[in-house]
Formats: sequence, C-alpha cells, structure tokens
Amino acid sequence: MLKHYLKIAWQSLLHQRLNSMINISGLSIGMAASLLIFMWVSNELNFDKFHKDSENIYRLKNYIAIDKKSTWIWENSPYLLADEVQKKLPEVLTVARMRPMAWENVHFNIKGEFIQESNCAYIDSAWFSMFRYDFIYGSANDFNRHPLSMVLTASKAKKYFGHENPLGKTIRIDTLDYEIRGVVKDIPPYSSFQYDVLIPLAARRNNPANIKNDESWGNFNYLTFVKLNPAASVKDLPAKITTILSENKKSDNIKTGLIALTDMHFENDLQTYVIEHGNKNVVFIFGILGLLLLVIASINYVNLATARASLRAKEVSIKKISGAGRGQLFMQFVVESIMVSVISLLVTILILKFALPSFNQFIGKNFTLSINDRLLWMIVGGTLLASIFLTSIYPAILLSSFKPVAIFRGFNALKVKDGALRKGLVVVQFTIATVLIIGTIVIYRQLKFINAQNTAYDKSQILSFNIPYKLFSKYKDDGRTQLVNSIKQELLSRSMISEVSVMNQSSVIDMKGFSSGGSNDWDGRDKDFMPAIGFFYTDTDFKKMLNLEMADGRWYEPGNKADEHNSILNETAVKEFNIRKPVIGQRFVSQDDTGVIIGVVKDFYYKSLHEKISPVVIKNVNDYNSTFLVKTSPGKIVEAQKAAKDVWNKFFASEPFAYKFLDEEFEKLYRADHKTASLVWIFSGIAIFLSCLGLFGLAAFTAERRTREIGVRKVLGASVSGIVSLLSKEFILLVIVSLIIASPVAWWALNKWLQDFSYRIDISIIFFIAAGIITLLVALATVSVHAIKAAISNPIKSLRTE
Amino acid sequence: MIDLKGIYKWVNTGNNRTFLLRDVNLHIKEGEFVSIMGPSGSGKSTLLNVIGMLDEFNEGEYNFLHESVHKLKEKQRTSLYKQYIGFVFQAYHLIDELTVYENIETPLIYQNIKTSERKAMVADILDRFNIVGKKDLFPTQLSGGQQQLVGIARALIAKPKLLLADEPTGNLNSKQGEEIMNLFKELNNEGVAIIQVTHSEKNASYGSRIINLLDGMIVN
Repeated sequence: MLKHYLKIAWQSLLHQRLNSMINISGLSIGMAASLLIFMWVSNELNFDKFHKDSENIYRLKNYIAIDKKSTWIWENSPYLLADEVQKKLPEVLTVARMRPMAWENVHFNIKGEFIQESNCAYIDSAWFSMFRYDFIYGSANDFNRHPLSMVLTASKAKKYFGHENPLGKTIRIDTLDYEIRGVVKDIPPYSSFQYDVLIPLAARRNNPANIKNDESWGNFNYLTFVKLNPAASVKDLPAKITTILSENKKSDNIKTGLIALTDMHFENDLQTYVIEHGNKNVVFIFGILGLLLLVIASINYVNLATARASLRAKEVSIKKISGAGRGQLFMQFVVESIMVSVISLLVTILILKFALPSFNQFIGKNFTLSINDRLLWMIVGGTLLASIFLTSIYPAILLSSFKPVAIFRGFNALKVKDGALRKGLVVVQFTIATVLIIGTIVIYRQLKFINAQNTAYDKSQILSFNIPYKLFSKYKDDGRTQLVNSIKQELLSRSMISEVSVMNQSSVIDMKGFSSGGSNDWDGRDKDFMPAIGFFYTDTDFKKMLNLEMADGRWYEPGNKADEHNSILNETAVKEFNIRKPVIGQRFVSQDDTGVIIGVVKDFYYKSLHEKISPVVIKNVNDYNSTFLVKTSPGKIVEAQKAAKDVWNKFFASEPFAYKFLDEEFEKLYRADHKTASLVWIFSGIAIFLSCLGLFGLAAFTAERRTREIGVRKVLGASVSGIVSLLSKEFILLVIVSLIIASPVAWWALNKWLQDFSYRIDISIIFFIAAGIITLLVALATVSVHAIKAAISNPIKSLRTE
Repeated sequence: MIDLKGIYKWVNTGNNRTFLLRDVNLHIKEGEFVSIMGPSGSGKSTLLNVIGMLDEFNEGEYNFLHESVHKLKEKQRTSLYKQYIGFVFQAYHLIDELTVYENIETPLIYQNIKTSERKAMVADILDRFNIVGKKDLFPTQLSGGQQQLVGIARALIAKPKLLLADEPTGNLNSKQGEEIMNLFKELNNEGVAIIQVTHSEKNASYGSRIINLLDGMIVN
C-alpha cells in the first residue's frame, strides 16, 4: 500500500513539474533564509550563557552624576575596587578583571615586520577560573605563573605559527618578548569577549608608571566581574560596593550597580563601551522577519497543494468509485506532502551549505551547520510538520466532502469552497511583502539622508593619525608643541598634501571625549547646570579642514595671542547654555580659563546621527593635540599616504604608522545600520520572490481551471486583452487589498525604527505609492504570463478537452 | 438482482420541483444485458447513477441482491458497490499519472488484495484484452479505443456481477465502438449483467432488453 502511495506521489510530482518546482524551491528558499535568520537571532539571545554558573556572574557598572539632570554610565571600574570587593564582601566568591586594549594600537613585531592586532586584552589571574576557555595546548596555570605570557585562539595561532604546536614560541610587542603558554579554541560567536590575544595583567604592571596610574581611584579602566554565592542577595550588593568606592575615592557622586553577565549583550545605557552590544529591537524585528518568511513559504505550499487537489478531483473520484476510503485518500495526501517536504529539506541543507560562508562573512560571525544542531531540527521540523499538517488535512477534508458522482457534473462544488481561503492567504503574503518593500525604501532613504548630511568636506580625502600617548608623554609641554609643529611643517612641505590640522580629540567622525564640571562658566548660568561639553582643542586650520561655517562672529586668527583664552561655540551650545545676547563678546570660562566668545560655528556632525548634536566648544590651544588630520591634494591619495608615512618614519622610526581615512571611520560608524539595511533588502527580496512564486502557481492553476471558460469566451468573440484582464483582475484586486492592509502596519513599524535616529527623514506618502507600484507591477507581470498564454491559445483545443 | 419500486428523484429550483426520475419501476435479473435509451435530459444517466449507488433518490425502494439499498448507510452501500459493481465511463476517466497496469490494479489495492495475487489478476486481464504490450504506457499515449479497453479492464478486474456503462462508445469511432460492444456481448455471455446507457439503436440491439426513458419515466 505504502509503495503504491509513494509511486502515486512520485508520479504526480513529475507530472506536475512546474508545480513541484515552485513548491520545493519556495519551501526550501524560505526555510533556508529563515534558518539563517534564526541562527543569528538565537546567537544574539544566548550571549555569554556558556560560561559555568553564568547566572551568578555580574559586571560592575558605575553611574556618574555630572549634574542634576544627567548621569554618565561607565562599564569600567577602578583597578583597586576589585581587590577591595573581594576582601570585604564574603558573598563574592571570585573577582576577575579585564582591560581590553581597545584604544591602543598593538603591533606584533614578527621578524621586524609590524602586524596590527586589534583584539588584545589584559586579564588577571582569576579570569580563566571564572570564564570558560577550552585549552588545546598549555594551561591557565602556566599562563598565570609568568607575566610575559600570551594565550592565543586556535585561528590566531594558526595565522602566526601554522600547524605546529606554538607553545614556547615568542611574539614581540614593543621591546618585550611574550611566550605562548596556551592555545584555546576559537571564541564562540555568542561570547562578548571577542579577544584572540590574552596577556596577563602582571605584564602591564611590570611598569611602575602603569601601577601608579591603575591604583588611582579616579581612573576607571577595568571591566570588573564578580561571581556571587548563589544564596547571596544581589539586591543589597550595589549599595555595599558603592560604599567601598565612596570611602576610597573620598567622593560620593558615583554609584555602583550590577549587570548580569547574561544581560550584558543588550546593555544600552552606557556612554562609551568596548564590548560590542546587540540591539534588542533589531533582534526582535529579524525574529519576526524569519517567521514571516516561513509563513510566506508555507502559504505557497498550502495554496498550491490545495489548488492542485481540486484539479485532482477526477482522480480522487475514480479512486472513491474503485473503493478508496477517506483514510486511504488522506494517507495518500500525507505521503505526497512528506515526499515534497523531505526533498525540500535536502534542498534547504544544500542551499545552507552554499550560503553559510557568505552569510558568515557578511555578519562577521562564524556559524557552522551541524546535523546535531537542535535549532536546525526545530525550525525545519516545525515548518515541515506545519506544512504537512496543512497540506494533507485540508485537501483530505475538501475532497472527502463531495460525492464522486460530482465529476459527471463538473467541479462546481470545489470552485466556490476553497477560493476564499486561498485568496486570504495570498492577501497575507502580499501584505507581508509590501511591508518589507516599504521598509526597504524607507531604510534606504534614511541611510542616504545620513550620507547627505555629512558632506561639508570630502571624507575620502582626509586621513588621520595619532601620536600614541607613550611617545607623546616623553616630551615636556613646549617640546610637544614644537614636535607637533615640526611634523606639521614637514607634512605641509610635501606637494601631495594640501592641508594639515591638529586636534586633541581622536576623531571628528565619532567623537567620544566629553567633559563636564564646574570649571566651565558663563553669565546667567544656573549654579547646578554643569552640562557635558565636547571640547575641540585645535589650530587655526581646523575650520578650513572641515569646511566649518560661521553663524556669527569670527574664526581664530593666526598669531593672535589673546585668542588662546577665547572660545568659539556651536549653535547648539549657544542655545542650550542660554548665552545672553549679543553672544559675541560674552564672558566664557572654559576649564578655568577666562575669555570671551568670539564666534559661533554652524552645527556640524562629529558623531553618529543616532545621537543629537550636543554642545561643542572649540579652543585655539595646542598643548596636548596629538591627532593629525591630513588632507590630500586631489587625485594624490596614494602618494599622500606614502608621504605621511615617510614623515612619520622620520620622527618615530621604530614605531609602526597607523592611520585611517575619515570615510572608513564613517563607514564603520554606520556599519550596523548598513548591515540591517542589506539584510532587510535581501530578505524582502526573498519574500517578494516567494510571494510571486505562489502567485505564479495560482495563476497557472486558475488559467488551467478556466481553460474551457476562456475557450467559450473566445468563440463568442472575446479579445486577447479582454481575457488577460479577466484573468489578472482577480489577483490584482488581492494585491490592492494587501497594499491597503500593509500601509498602516509599515508606517507604524518604520516610525519605530526611525525613532532610533535623532536626525531622520519623514515618512512620505510617496514611499507607499512607490511600493504599491512595484508590488503591482511585479504581480501583474507574474500573473499575465499565464493569462496571455491562456488567451492566445486556440479555443478549439481547450474545448476539446472533455 | 435489481429491483426498483416507485423511485422518485427530484431537485428543487426556487419554488419549482423538477423531477429527474418519476415512479421508476424496474426489475433486472442476473446476467441480463439491458440498454437504457432516451433523448438528452430524459434521466438515463441519473437512473444509472442511482442503480450504481453513486447517487441517492428521494422516494421509493431499491433492492440489490436482496439488500435494501434505501435502508443502508453510506459506508455499507460503498462496500456493496465495491464488491459487485464495475463502472465504465464515456470519457474513460483513467488516472493520468498511472500506467495502464497501475490503473487496472487500483481497485484491487483498495480491496486489500495481496501483491502477488494482484499481479496474477492484472496479468490475466491484460492478456485477455490483448494489451500486455501497453501495460507500461500512460493513458495519454493510447488511442480512445485503447483507453476504453483499459477502462473496461479496470471495471472488470474485481470480478463484478454488474457492469454499468454510461455511453461507453460515445467518444469512439464506429469501428472501435463495435469492438467494445462485441466485448460486452462476450462478457455478458460469461454471466456478467450489463446495463448501458446509449443513444445508438445499433448498440442497444446488442442487449437483450431496451428501456426507454422520457422525462424521467419509463415508457414502453
């Protein structure tokens, strides 16, 4: 019996080749796409849960009250806090510290060649006992025993030492040789600590200057984790730690809090951070997207299977007359469903095999496809079961509801019954697809808007580099200014370099240095108002470099000594500080240095458009400026870059030259947004494709079902265009209904997304119209293929079929 | 074998009741070959469907082999016609996805007959109808006459006592039709009762009795 079912299933699969192809490709593309999404989503939701006792591990975070209204939140704590907490609080079992070298450029010196390593961190000796690392070679003990040790991940070890066992080999950083004392398995994608190179904190503490720096209670530089006794109360702990901090720091403006290790990935209130975070909204949106893709793919499957089932009324009737019972017919549909599903499963795995590497590269993770993966089977199994359920039960009910003799009278009973369901499903599909299209358009426009905002200067022509602190600190005040000036002169002497400016901030694209406090003052300031201000200390060339425009007053004049005490504000600063009119000439104290406001620059972007432009004060002071902005002559980018390196080597021969172009920085700043945009684009493309695939199949079915009607109409004189419109009308109507449902949904969802941006586009009706036209055109093209084919066929043929 | 008493069948269209069968009384003995004739719309096919238990009637009694069909539940009726009746259609109604062999085999599968036995039975009938060479072809690869042969083979495979044929030669040319009618005659001689609906006097003459229908009534 089963053999018979299989035979029938296989035959009808071959017989309905187009249908089967639509079914299988639709289902597998949908499953593969949503599987990729769900892999990512589940990775995001399972961050840092793989460590032993992860539910008992917390990180300290510090809330710094800067004035009555605002608080800064830092992820780092002072070095000594960990020791004190361990000593004084018995409920804390272990304390571990990490200091990522995120702001320093670490260069491995491999046989005289410098290789930049960006994923290095110092860890203390408790780190490996608190967090899970799988050692392939060496051990945590060896590592902790010697200060000049290094642990590498397997792929880093392979990069530097090939396949041989790297234990005992050394890598030089600056002047010190570090010995490899451990190799661990690669960091899993669901770990917050994506550091491939680990060095003992003890190595850093070989330098007395570092110890002095670290042991100041005012320096917050260490990620500090505590593992608690499971029985201890987490609620009371922050207050206790705050007391310890206040006593030692002798100030009480900082409160310490805790965040669970497992919540850390979605922490979103930090002012600055080194650990990469996820965005819960994005995860949520993609989770839904994955689900929707599955729904669309399943709808195709159900729609086509049921449509086909009614075409098969004849076969079913004959079987009934031959004595088939309902159970037997039902089984036959189940077997067919299972067959299509199993083939789809194989195709899905095939697609995943090919798509996974590029997907990994795109999102920067390293997912692998494993047969043992529970998630894989949950998703695939769930989808298949749902599809099998829908595609076997529904047709079985449908087909057992009519008497076999109905085939003598045509299929009237069937036509009416299942049309409404199918139409409903098509509407659902196209609603989803339209929402995604509108989403794609809006996201694209917003990103274009961002690009258009930052066009005051050509980012691709400016490169920036920084004199590291360790070099800079060797010079005295005057020496520093002199050094910077000589480098600047040297750079300007090269013909391929047109302008040079030097500033204190490390970036003009993603500026992070703000300060606040009572050292800033102006007339009319409320005593408690101590806002955070971004200070740019720079030279007179800064304005030309960034193409700043003056809203009022003047820019700094070269050689004007008095200007050293004066300030230039941006428009936002003038507004938020409530500077009295006339603004120019007002007294302004910045960092205890009294002068007047000599100018106001128009607001310019110096950080992400996700954030509002905040108050900026520009000062003409050169003492500590170490970031160079170098503008290349037009068309001389490569030469200018070489020239800059040349100049660098003249001054710091033994140091590697690290530079970046501003457009790279800019791109990095919005990388997450661009990724979101590309993913939405790809997946809405897939959604549209799948929906059209379904529509294509249904149109084919309709054309087939109405062959005789079309024949009769043609004999009666209907034109080709008349018949095409007759066949297309019903589907186009469905798409229009979808548009109407989709518009408010899309409007709501996109407003949510745009709320994340301080500077954003307005959602215009044009986007909806455009999306509507796109959807309609695609749907029309899809449907008319069959409509035209049916309309131009010879009516004699179709009328002869029965 | 078949005993119809006062059979009425009607459909309600609006306020009007349209009678499809009106007071049909009919007795058919085992092994008889009966032709039902009449103009289009006179109720020939309806009567055949009622006899084949594919369609219900509104009034009257129907006894088939001493079973009162009008008192049976659908399931019992199904098993009754499964066992005793074979159907042949004007449009053959073969399953396009199956080969000739598989088409003929289908009723046996649903009657839970073992594979080996099925093989023997299908081989027998293929042999008898001279279509062994066609057994692996699909219906669309056959001529109309050959398709109808397969249809009849399928109807006969379960060894029914009664063969119901609704214009079996309607889609065939005269030569093919003649062959089919000769086959019917032969089958009838072997003891299978046949009831056929036909428009053709010539075909009707193969039978032993002709029943004329007009507006749902038997007129003789």
